[in-house]
Amino acid sequence: MHIPDGFIPLGQCAIYFALALPFVVKSISWARKEMEEASMPLFATLAAGIFAIQAMNVPIPWGTSGHMVGGVLAAILLGSPYAGVLLLTIVLVIQALLFADGGVTALGANILDMGVISTFVGFYTYRGLKGRLGIFGASFAGGWLGLFVSALAVAVELAIAGTFPLAEGLMFMGLYHAVIGLIAEGMITSVVVTTVARVSPELFPELAGEVAA
Amino acid sequence: MRTGTRRFVIAGLAVALLISILAPYLASPNPDGLESAAEKFEEAEGRDYLAFNSPLPDYTVPSLGETGVSGIVAIVIGTMVTFLVGFGLSKTIKSRP
Repeated sequence: MHIPDGFIPLGQCAIYFALALPFVVKSISWARKEMEEASMPLFATLAAGIFAIQAMNVPIPWGTSGHMVGGVLAAILLGSPYAGVLLLTIVLVIQALLFADGGVTALGANILDMGVISTFVGFYTYRGLKGRLGIFGASFAGGWLGLFVSALAVAVELAIAGTFPLAEGLMFMGLYHAVIGLIAEGMITSVVVTTVARVSPELFPELAGEVAA
Repeated sequence: MRTGTRRFVIAGLAVALLISILAPYLASPNPDGLESAAEKFEEAEGRDYLAFNSPLPDYTVPSLGETGVSGIVAIVIGTMVTFLVGFGLSKTIKSRP
């Protein structure tokens, strides 16, 4: 759901940069204060994996496709939504500059939608549900809802921009991403979180002690 | 680096590189959710443009054409660059007071 150049007028692009900036700044201070030295290779590995998986579009019905975003996965493993914000910011900047995937002018909006909204919604959904559903169910639900809500945010932004009609934009973006959220985001997030929690929970303090849950 | 960390990095990078090599062949070429939605609306027609000339547009190396190998080279470069930036940036952030 990378927004290209031209879909949002420049003035509105500036507003989305301004809205995303405080979260990016906060994510840098999170990394400085909270991220352990030992977690940095893990953070970099997750970033590389999430870049790669974003190139793997999976087919969905209606001649459409979609890929995982990954901010929720990073946030759950590293224990903070700001981990997802920082990681997605890095991935989205590299994609826009090197690969023309997502417009350079739309970078603020793309960071806000995929880095901030998806990550926060997904992380707190996971936190809220893990007691009741366990980590597999909660990370599935977090991945799915994070992607779905961020797709609706994109639809609203594009309606404000005059690029999409509001009701139909919400309907199509919601429908497509509800399905992408099931087969890409929800599935991969929950499988990776559960696997890591079993194999090496000691690497991720957030997951240590969750295996039995 | 602790043994567990090293194992995670090696396994994680191996998976990332495997995906990078397979993606040009296995990824669906269909438009993504946003592009599919945009195709439905006249308002969106002809609006998108490129504000910046990226060296590897659409995950291909222009001099190699639109082949599978071109895609592999582009995505592998991206995966490695992302790893190095992720590691370098977090180190830099941490080392500043």
